[in-house]
Amino acid sequence: MYSDLLHSLPDVLGLANLAAIVIGVIAGIVVGAMPGLSATMAISVLVPFTFGLEPLVALGLMAGIYNGAMYGGAIPAVLLRIPGTPAAVATSFDGYPMAQKGEGGFALQVAVVSSSIGGIASALALMLLAPPLSKVTLLFGPAEVFWVAVFGLCSIIFLLGGNPVKGLVSACFGVFVSVVGSDPILGTDRFTFGKLELLDGVNIVILLVGLYALPPVIDLLETPLKTEQKSGKLGTEPIWKALPRMTGFWMTWLRSSLIGIWIGILPGAGGSMAAFMSYNEARRASKTPETWGKGEPEGVAAAETANNADTASALIPALTLGIPGTAVAAVMLGGLLIHGLQPGPMLFRDNPDVVFGFMWQFLFGAILLVFLGGSLATNSFARLLNLPRPLLGSVIIVLMLIGVYSIHSRMFDVYLMLGFGAIGYVMDKLKFPLPPVVLGLILGAFAEENLRLALRIGRGDWGVLFANTTSLILVALTVAVVVGPLVKRRLQARKTDAS
Amino acid sequence: MYSTLRNVTLAGALMGAGMAAAQDYPQEPIEVIVGFSAGGGTDVMARTVAPFLEKYLGDGASLVVKNVPGASGQIGVTETAHADPDGYTIGTYNLPGMMARTLDREADYDADSFTYLANVVNDPNVIVTSKRSGLDTLDKLLEAAAEEPGAVTVGMSSLGGDDHFMLTKLQNMTGSEYTIVPFRGSAPARTALLGGHVAMGILNISEVASFQDQINIIGVATDERSGFAPDVPTFKEQGLELVNGALRGFVAPAGLPDDVRGELLAAFDALKDDEEFLAAMTATANPVDVVTGDDFQALNAEILQTATQVWEETPWQ
Repeated sequence: MYSDLLHSLPDVLGLANLAAIVIGVIAGIVVGAMPGLSATMAISVLVPFTFGLEPLVALGLMAGIYNGAMYGGAIPAVLLRIPGTPAAVATSFDGYPMAQKGEGGFALQVAVVSSSIGGIASALALMLLAPPLSKVTLLFGPAEVFWVAVFGLCSIIFLLGGNPVKGLVSACFGVFVSVVGSDPILGTDRFTFGKLELLDGVNIVILLVGLYALPPVIDLLETPLKTEQKSGKLGTEPIWKALPRMTGFWMTWLRSSLIGIWIGILPGAGGSMAAFMSYNEARRASKTPETWGKGEPEGVAAAETANNADTASALIPALTLGIPGTAVAAVMLGGLLIHGLQPGPMLFRDNPDVVFGFMWQFLFGAILLVFLGGSLATNSFARLLNLPRPLLGSVIIVLMLIGVYSIHSRMFDVYLMLGFGAIGYVMDKLKFPLPPVVLGLILGAFAEENLRLALRIGRGDWGVLFANTTSLILVALTVAVVVGPLVKRRLQARKTDAS
Repeated sequence: MYSTLRNVTLAGALMGAGMAAAQDYPQEPIEVIVGFSAGGGTDVMARTVAPFLEKYLGDGASLVVKNVPGASGQIGVTETAHADPDGYTIGTYNLPGMMARTLDREADYDADSFTYLANVVNDPNVIVTSKRSGLDTLDKLLEAAAEEPGAVTVGMSSLGGDDHFMLTKLQNMTGSEYTIVPFRGSAPARTALLGGHVAMGILNISEVASFQDQINIIGVATDERSGFAPDVPTFKEQGLELVNGALRGFVAPAGLPDDVRGELLAAFDALKDDEEFLAAMTATANPVDVVTGDDFQALNAEILQTATQVWEETPWQ
C-alpha cells in the first residue's frame, strides 16, 4: 500500500495538477470568505464541469477548494463577526474580539497557520491510516451515533459558559428547525405547509446566513457615523515574524487535530462540531480560561485547526465505505462517481494512482494554504475594513442574497433566510447565543434519525442505547460535560460565600 | 456556440416558413432534467447516456443536463411532467420511486403524465447478511425469521422504494416477518451491515459488488445471474420466484408528437448494442437493461400495480 502511495506521487507533481490545486485553494478561500457561499456549494457547481477533465485534475481542484474554504470562512468571522462557513462560527468567538483590539492581522495569521497544520495532520491520517480508521467508523451504529449527537448538543449548550438556560432555548430552536421536512424514517411531511421546498428540511447555509450575517450587517448600518476612525490597519507583520508568537500553541494544535480527525471519520457532524468541541477542550485545558472569548489567539488556533483537520479524514469513510463524514465529502463522492471511481475496498486496488494521488493533493493543498492564504488575507481582504461601512454592509447583503439564491435557484430560500435573519437579530439583542441553533439544526436531525433507527433495531427496547462499551463511554462523556460546569459553579459559589 | 446560433437561426427560418418538420428534430439543445444532485447514481447515468444519445440523434444534437434535486426526485420529475411536450425537455425517471410518490404523497403528476421513452438501468436487488449474524444461506435466514417473527433486522435505504417492495415480496412468498430499519440511503445501510448493527440488508447489486468479502450475499433477484457478481446465485435457482430491482430511465411529458418520439426511441434503441456505451455503464456500476417505448410503459404499469398492492396492504406511512 505504501508503495502505491509513492508510485502515485509523480502524477500529482504534473503541472496541470499543481495548477489545479493552487487555483482550487485560492477559489476556496474566496468562496469560504463570502457569507452564503460554502465549499459544498462551490464543489457541487464544479462537479458537472469535471466530467470532461482528467480525474486527478478534477480532484485536485476539489481538494484545494475544500482546504481553502475551511480557512476562508475565518476571514469574515474575524474581521466582521460573520462566519463565512458553518465551521467558522467558533473562530469568531475570539477572532472578532482580537480584530477589535487591532490584532485582526495576527488572528488571521494564527488562523491560516492552524488551518494548514490541521489540514496536514488530516491528510497524513488519510494517507497512512485510512483502512484501520475506517474500522472505527464501523463501531458506530445508530445507537452510538445518537450519543455522539447528544454529546455534541450538550457541550454546545454549556460551552459558552454564560447562561445555560438561554443556551438550551437556542439549541431547542435549532432542533425544532431540524424537524421541518419529511420524516427521516417514514417520509411523512412535518411542518412543510404543503411546500415542496421544505420537504428536504432547512438547508444549514440558509439558517447560518440569516442568523449570522444579517444581524452584524444591521449593526454595521446602524452605526455608520460613529465608526469614522480608520480601522483599516490590521496590525499585520510578515508571517515569519508572527510565527514565534505561536510556538506555545503546539499542544492545542495537536489536540485539535486529533479531535478534528476523529469527528471527520464519524458520519454527519462535520467541521462545525469539530471546531466547537476543540474550542471547548482547548479552553478547559487552558491556564487562563477567563481570557477566552475576549480575544485569545489560542481560541482561534483551536477552532481553525479542527475545522481543517476534519477535511481529509471525512474522506476516510467516504472512500472506504461510501458514507461521507461531511456534506462536502458527500459532494466529492459524487465527483468520484462521475469518473467511475466507486467507493469501497476495491477502489484502493483498482485505482490506486487516483486515490493515493487524491490524498497527496490534500497534503499539498494544506501546505499551500499557508503561502496563498497568508498573502491573500493580509493583502486583499484586510482592505475590506477600509470600505465605508454602509457600502460594506450593502455589498455583504447582496452577496448573501446571491449566495442563498444560488443554493437551489429559488426565491423561497431567500425569504426563509430573511426570516431567520429577523429571528437572529432579536436573539442577538436579547443575548441568546446563536451557535447552539446551528448545532441544534445539524445534530438534532442526526440525533432523531439515529435514535429511531436504534430503537427499531432494538425493537422498541431502550436498552439498545446502553448495550455496548462505545455507547457507555459516550454516555459518561455526556454526563461529565453536563455535570462538570454545574459542580464547578457550585464550588465557586461556596468559595465566594466562605470569603 | 456557433452551432447553437446557427440552429436557432435555422429554426427561426423554418418556423417562419411554417414547416417545422420533425425530421429536423432536434433543432435546439435538449434539456435533460435530473431529479437528483450532480454526482448521484441517476445523474451519472444521465451524463453517461447523454453523449451517446447525441451521437444517435445526429445533426449536431446536444443534450444539456439540468439538476433539479429535492424531495427524492419528485421536484424534478414534476417539472418534466409539466414541461412543453416538444421534445426539448426530457427527464430522468426512477422506478418504483416515482410511482410510489403518487401513492404516499400528494403529487402533481401520475402515470399518465408522461411519454415513456426508455428504461436504461435495472439494478437488481440482493439480500445480504452481516458476517456477524452467521446467517450465510437463504435457508438459515428463513429459519431464523420463522423462529421468532421480527427477530431479523433488515437495513435498507428507505420505505416505499425498491428495497421495501423486495422485502414485501419476500415476506408474502415465505410467510416470514422482519423488522425494517430504513436508513437514509444505501451507503449507511451497508455500513451498518458491515459493522454488524443489523443482521440482514436489502440493497442493489451495484452497491455490494465490491464488498463481497465483507458481507454474505445470499442471492440476487433476477432471472439470470448478474454480470456484476457472477458467483452469486439467483433466488430462482434457490426455489424462490423473487425478481425485483431499481429502474432508472427517461421520460418526456405526455403528448409528445409521434415523429419526435420515434426519433428519440430509435436513438435509445441503438444504445442496446453499442459496446462503448455498455463499457461506460459498467465502469460506473450501472447494470444496463434498455427497454423502450410501449414496453417501458407496460413495465411502469406493472410496477405501479405492485406498489399499489403493497400500499393498500401495508401502508408505510
